[in-house]
Amino acid sequence: MIDTQLLISGVIFGLSIGSIFFLMAIGLSLCFGLMRIISLDQLLYYSVGAYITYTISVTTGSMWLGALGGLVVAGILSFAVERFIFLRIYERDIAFTMITSFGILIGGVGVIKAIWGLVPRPVPMPIMAQINIMGTEIPVYRLIVVVIAALVYAGIWLFLNRTITGKAIRAGIEDVEHVEGLGINVYRLFTITFIIAGTLSGLSGGLHAPLIMVDPQMGLEVMPFIFMVVIIGGLGSIKGTLISALIVGQVVSIGSLIYAPLAQMAPFAIMLLILLIKPTGLYGSKLLKR
Amino acid sequence: MNIFRWWRGILFAFFLLALIRVFLPLPFSNEIIIFSIYVMGCSFLLGKVGFISFGQPAYLATGAYATAFYLFYFGTNPYIGILIGIAAGIIMSLIVGPLFVRLRSDYFALVNLALAVIIFYMMQKVLAPITQGDNGLWFLTNMKSTPILDITKPKEFYLFAFLVGLAVWAFYKYLNDTLYGACCLASKINEDKVNFLGYSNFRIRLMAFVIANTTTALAGSLYAIYLGFVSPEMTSAHRAADPVVVTILGGVGTLYGPLVGSVAFTGMKDLISNLIGNWELFIGFLLVFIMLAGEKGIWGSLEPRLKKVFSGKRA
Repeated sequence: MIDTQLLISGVIFGLSIGSIFFLMAIGLSLCFGLMRIISLDQLLYYSVGAYITYTISVTTGSMWLGALGGLVVAGILSFAVERFIFLRIYERDIAFTMITSFGILIGGVGVIKAIWGLVPRPVPMPIMAQINIMGTEIPVYRLIVVVIAALVYAGIWLFLNRTITGKAIRAGIEDVEHVEGLGINVYRLFTITFIIAGTLSGLSGGLHAPLIMVDPQMGLEVMPFIFMVVIIGGLGSIKGTLISALIVGQVVSIGSLIYAPLAQMAPFAIMLLILLIKPTGLYGSKLLKR
Repeated sequence: MNIFRWWRGILFAFFLLALIRVFLPLPFSNEIIIFSIYVMGCSFLLGKVGFISFGQPAYLATGAYATAFYLFYFGTNPYIGILIGIAAGIIMSLIVGPLFVRLRSDYFALVNLALAVIIFYMMQKVLAPITQGDNGLWFLTNMKSTPILDITKPKEFYLFAFLVGLAVWAFYKYLNDTLYGACCLASKINEDKVNFLGYSNFRIRLMAFVIANTTTALAGSLYAIYLGFVSPEMTSAHRAADPVVVTILGGVGTLYGPLVGSVAFTGMKDLISNLIGNWELFIGFLLVFIMLAGEKGIWGSLEPRLKKVFSGKRA
């Protein structure tokens, strides 16, 4: 039916795009699980990461340095936003924080437009080599992206399960008030989580930059896919995010081999299916009244 | 007289609107009316039912494209086009409603946004042969002039839109006063109690969903007739925030909030884009500022004070 070569490259493509979605979706998922906020501004840190990568790679010639710079700047930016804005609104409604974070996203896009202009910019790919897997030429860079995402997943897992802070965060995801009662400074946990989320989003932006042109609207373009990943996997679950990122990545990639325009909509159909069966996503937490 | 008291607010608001029509350019007035009908749907959903929807453009496009299809391929009567738009809105809401309204509020917002983007892609690429993709459907010349009030002409269209707006506002004010309106509010505040009282949360919300989105679809049809063309851009992701921003700006859940917000928003859009080209920046920061300052919005903060003034005067 489909050429095996195309299929293999499609799978790898799906894995790499899924990895990028995963890195961004972890941020949204963690922030929701612990702080009960929908942090739409993660998309802003993604864009910022990509743009800083562009700027640094244009001036120094190294894309990896750019990605590093991107994630650092994104982390700093997310820290600033958390301290100045989110700290004041944690107690409020979910919808409220969602609107505020959306406002930050839009405002940030405006700032990006002001600094970098409207024209999409290309970012050079660091490794142009291709290796031969089962007869198909696969760009090495995409494999590296997948490896990085796998390392991040392992890192997050270790962090959440083997460090005190991580365990505190996991406890907080279940019940914040009890954690506070134990004497742990939950606001510091919030800040740490938010910075992790922002940094990972910046990393995903930096990694994605060579694969696409960076333009001011890139955050908004990728927004629906991230939402679908997060909804299918369920807010608050890292494992769910990983699985659904892989699913969405494969669907988009293999779907576009079969019938291109439908590929954009296929994740939506899957999301509707999953929501019919489980209204909180595959691994989502129980229905909250909050 | 009781009837006059009921209509007093609406008539006054629309009188002010008519003043705007007299003093400011016509396109501005037309835009305000249609846009505020659009926002009214979102405001009702957010304020009275408690659902935030980032995907109102989806229903706007449903109404607009339904009207456009009719006028482009089948007929020439704009009134029938509007009716078809409304019907499309109802049908669309009934299709996705039963699934969407069961969801938690954050999922609801995201799912609606996804719907808006899906419709965007569908209109732009998948159904491109019949929707002409990004070029949009142009049908201004298709519309036959209608008797009495020729709504293909902007001046007379304004009168028509004005009357439609009056009707929409009367409808929502009426809804406020009914048992159903109270149910919506109750469902937003405490859904367990509503269950204990014997009402079905699901049905209340589904009905509200259909009403709000049909209003949005009506606005879509009006846009289609007014502009004479539709394009996928109206439901792109950038537009998703517009109704939410204006709802908050005007005052969530208030009756006149959408009007105030719409005037402020359209006015600001015009002024700001003349000063700085980059007005998304402004909108974003404005939104954050409003949320931090207290989420009532312009009319939301004014209304209690005005009420005090008016009742103080009488006492």
